[in-house]
Amino acid sequence: MNLEDYRTLFAVVGLVLTLIAAVPMLSMVVAFPGGGERFSEFWVLGPNHMAEDYPFNAIVNEIYRVFVGVGNHMGRSTYYMVYVKLRNQTQPLPDASSSEPSPLPPIYEFRAFVEDSATWEAPLNFSFLEVSHFENSCLVRRMSINDVIFSVDSSSRWDSENNGFYYQLFFELWLYDVKLRSFQFHARFVGIWLNVTGS
Amino acid sequence: MTACRSFPIFALLFALALSIFPLEVCAADAGEAALAIERAEEIVVSCYQVVLEAESAGGDVSSLLARLNEAGGLLAQAHILYRLEDFDGAARFADVCSQIGEEVRVEAYGFRSLAVEKAVQRFRWTMIGSILSVIIIIVASFLGWHIFKSRYCRRILRMNPEVISDES
Repeated sequence: MNLEDYRTLFAVVGLVLTLIAAVPMLSMVVAFPGGGERFSEFWVLGPNHMAEDYPFNAIVNEIYRVFVGVGNHMGRSTYYMVYVKLRNQTQPLPDASSSEPSPLPPIYEFRAFVEDSATWEAPLNFSFLEVSHFENSCLVRRMSINDVIFSVDSSSRWDSENNGFYYQLFFELWLYDVKLRSFQFHARFVGIWLNVTGS
Repeated sequence: MTACRSFPIFALLFALALSIFPLEVCAADAGEAALAIERAEEIVVSCYQVVLEAESAGGDVSSLLARLNEAGGLLAQAHILYRLEDFDGAARFADVCSQIGEEVRVEAYGFRSLAVEKAVQRFRWTMIGSILSVIIIIVASFLGWHIFKSRYCRRILRMNPEVISDES
């Protein structure tokens, strides 16, 4: 190695060390893009905290339990709202592709502040309190959610294919948009089907 | 006689008052409940914004979020009761939510100031440390190079030329 080679070696080593020393400073001044995909998890679990044994055949005055949960991966603490809604087979579901919530009114709601990379979960106890059956239709007049009684007045037609009066208890996830200063539908929903044939 | 004659008028007025008064009370309650919910909502949202600022400054906001969750739960109850037209209950829940929200807000402002102060200090020390390191490395590289170069040249100059006879 001659002197020129040594000079190049010194310059390269010096430059590399300078860059390493400047990394903390650069990380504070330069905003690096990325940080991974931002999303929220949303789930409903059965009474044993598992994705099984969901209530299905609903009997009047019987109390059923499910768990609703949210996982926050939005990169910061997030303010969530969960709407609980009841629909029959013909009423509209939310449209996740166009981020349109279901036009049905909410029966119950949860609000939660979830830290980034943390989860939130809440139990939901529900029961059908007043159900009337006619020839081929069923009318749910009142139901109870977490010990609060609601007038529902939702009717369902007999499903001859599946032999039952079917309702779906579904949950919509909304999150608070700081810029818009309002809750926006987060295009996520989960639900459970209930056969309200027995009384 | 006068008392007997005025009795039907009083009775009529009383009946009218009874029919109107409860309606007015209900209307006022609905309005009050809506106002209480709106106020609670504003407080909770402003708390959330302060918490976000504290979080982006690097503060640990877990304890604040736990309290905010409490307020959020009460606000949800207030909304549910309002939809059920239990305006007294809705206003009560909203008022408790506002109280908790106010406490959290005061705490959050203090938290944010502390987090921002810490972040500024952290930034300052990182910048100073980083700049000093860069300067030290540059100076050390130059010095090192000059020392190495002089030693290298001295070593070259100390070398004795040697003539190797060509025997072939």
